[in-house]
Amino acid sequence: MARIELRNVEKRWGAVWGVRGVNLDIAEEEFVVFLGPSGCGKTTTMRMIAGLEEPSSGEILMDGENMNGVDARDRDVAMVFQGYALYPNMTVYENIRFPLRMRKVPRSQHDALVRRAAEMVQLTELLDRKPGALSGGQRQRAALARAIVRQPKVFLMDEPLSNLDAKLRQHMRVQIRHIQRDLRITTVYVTHDQIEAMTLADRIVVMRSAEIQQIGTPDEIYNDPANTFVAGFIGAPPMNLVEGGIEGGVFRAPGLEVPLPGRGDLGRVILGFRPEDCAVSMDGGELRGCVYGVEPTGDVTYLTLKAGERLIEIKADRQFRAPLDSPVQVALDPARLYLFDGETGRRIR
Amino acid sequence: MASLRTTRRDSRLLRYLILGTWALVCLVPVAWFLSIGLRPRVEIITPRPIYWPTFSLDAWHMIWEDWPMARYLRNSVAAIFGSVLIDLVLAIPAAYSLARYQYRGRDDIAFYILSTRMMAPAIVAIPIFFLFRSLGLLDTVWALMIVYAAINLSLVTWIIRSYMLDIPKELEDAARTDGASDLRILWEVIVPAIRPGIITASVIAMIFAINEFLFTLLIASTPNAYTMSVALANFTGGSDGVIYNAIALVAFLAFLPVFLVVLLIQRHLSRGLTMGAVKG
Ligand SMILES: Nc1ncnc2c1ncn2[C@@H]1O[C@H](COP(=O)(O)OP(=O)(O)O)[C@@H](O)[C@H]1O
Ligand SMILES: [Mg+2]
Repeated sequence: MARIELRNVEKRWGAVWGVRGVNLDIAEEEFVVFLGPSGCGKTTTMRMIAGLEEPSSGEILMDGENMNGVDARDRDVAMVFQGYALYPNMTVYENIRFPLRMRKVPRSQHDALVRRAAEMVQLTELLDRKPGALSGGQRQRAALARAIVRQPKVFLMDEPLSNLDAKLRQHMRVQIRHIQRDLRITTVYVTHDQIEAMTLADRIVVMRSAEIQQIGTPDEIYNDPANTFVAGFIGAPPMNLVEGGIEGGVFRAPGLEVPLPGRGDLGRVILGFRPEDCAVSMDGGELRGCVYGVEPTGDVTYLTLKAGERLIEIKADRQFRAPLDSPVQVALDPARLYLFDGETGRRIR
Repeated sequence: MASLRTTRRDSRLLRYLILGTWALVCLVPVAWFLSIGLRPRVEIITPRPIYWPTFSLDAWHMIWEDWPMARYLRNSVAAIFGSVLIDLVLAIPAAYSLARYQYRGRDDIAFYILSTRMMAPAIVAIPIFFLFRSLGLLDTVWALMIVYAAINLSLVTWIIRSYMLDIPKELEDAARTDGASDLRILWEVIVPAIRPGIITASVIAMIFAINEFLFTLLIASTPNAYTMSVALANFTGGSDGVIYNAIALVAFLAFLPVFLVVLLIQRHLSRGLTMGAVKG
């Protein structure tokens, strides 16, 4: 229910940059996901929005109001912490109820609200336990319940599903999306899991080494990556990135020869193509190599092939089988090739 | 395999032997005290060895009936518990401030607090005497309470601070985003989370207070403020000479409550002592 703006926000500790030059507008009711590897500044950005960390420079606005200097308890946000941060001496029930007590929600509503929140995260049976008697996944769900028990202006979730097993994680993803839609609360969500980002986000903010790499919808991030980092971070397996050179409108690298009509001499470049945009073919293809690994998973077969010294991932048909070291040819979808600058990694459009 | 088993049994035997010896060394004086306390006075000072001690409650009756031991006990309990209470009320906020807030000179203040512990008590004995005299508190339990609290405050603060440093900062951040004020964070989140530390600090303070002698002797001049530890001194002078069995019994009675408390909470205590030692 709140609009959040980050204006040139920076955070540094001495020589260490936590976050650098972040500009971002988050619309009301939007679900924004910060995606990036560990240590890239996701938590720091989130803590600054929460008011737990003061930016070294720049401004954070909520509904147009400058929040610099406003204490965390006065910002009306609810946060799920990466380390759960459950109160060890209180039961799960008391933990979930704590924000209601602190925010002076009428006592008569507490029980119903706590139970509803516990139900959403499937924790009803464990309400009497202390956090010390819970597994990692259960603690994480208790932390989530404590955040969704009331209606704040903003939800901040720092890797709230990182400790759940795959099945529960998928279930909770759907749950979180529903909770957010039903409560219509602006949400900032941090993860290093690109699937989570793709499935949950209205918009994804990809970060790396304290800086934003790209902001866009999941489709934009997937179809139109701004640089090799984003391209290599999204997708499972991620985009293949092959270094080579363009001469006379043809990209060449060991085992790979791709005509790129209309491209002049660009010197050293990186060619990118996604494993799913390839097809194994019998009668010629741009990519030639030999089979390095075949992994049937049921719905798709992952083929790793070796071209020159490089390993390339292909999503092949699920019936595809081939002996190791046998030669294969792969055709690339000419409409779905990406070129990046060999030096900077930036996309060449 | 066989030899392995033997060595393991041997090492266990050795361990029991060492610990048993250690326990014996610790317990013999206590048992001796008790045995002196429960024997008639003549038997204790006789030069001839006695193989079968005579059991007697002489000393027991004497301390309760001829001496106001109940009152000394009450004074001790009041002064000790009162002092621990004062310590906790002062130390918990101080420790929180030292553990959490950033301000200039914080570490110096922390060290200063601890350094008061390193001072020889006799140095301040005379100023303290005059201070309490001006305050009109000489020979009162209040004065004892304040002195014990002052002696222990640094250690209590230091132990509690070391426990607070162990609490993840995220816990307070969570409470803050949940809307809790600093005071509520301290009271509802921090204090319950460091309960073992508070217990440890309290027990250590109690042990020091029970054993305190110098200042008690200085302040207490009549049974009005005598405590168990000072009462012992009463049995050494006067027309009756040194009353060993009464001394022994009172010493044992002073020792017993501490012993029981330590026994009850020893798990917390050992953790607390090492933590206090390693951290900070
Ligand atoms: N309190 C701090 N003091 C110094 N450096 C910090 C502090 N907090 C975070 N950092 C540094 O800032 C960077 C970003 O950290 P963080 O935001 O936690 O990353 P992420 O959540 O993306 O894994 C890291 O290099 C980290 O070491
Ligand atoms: Mg993080």
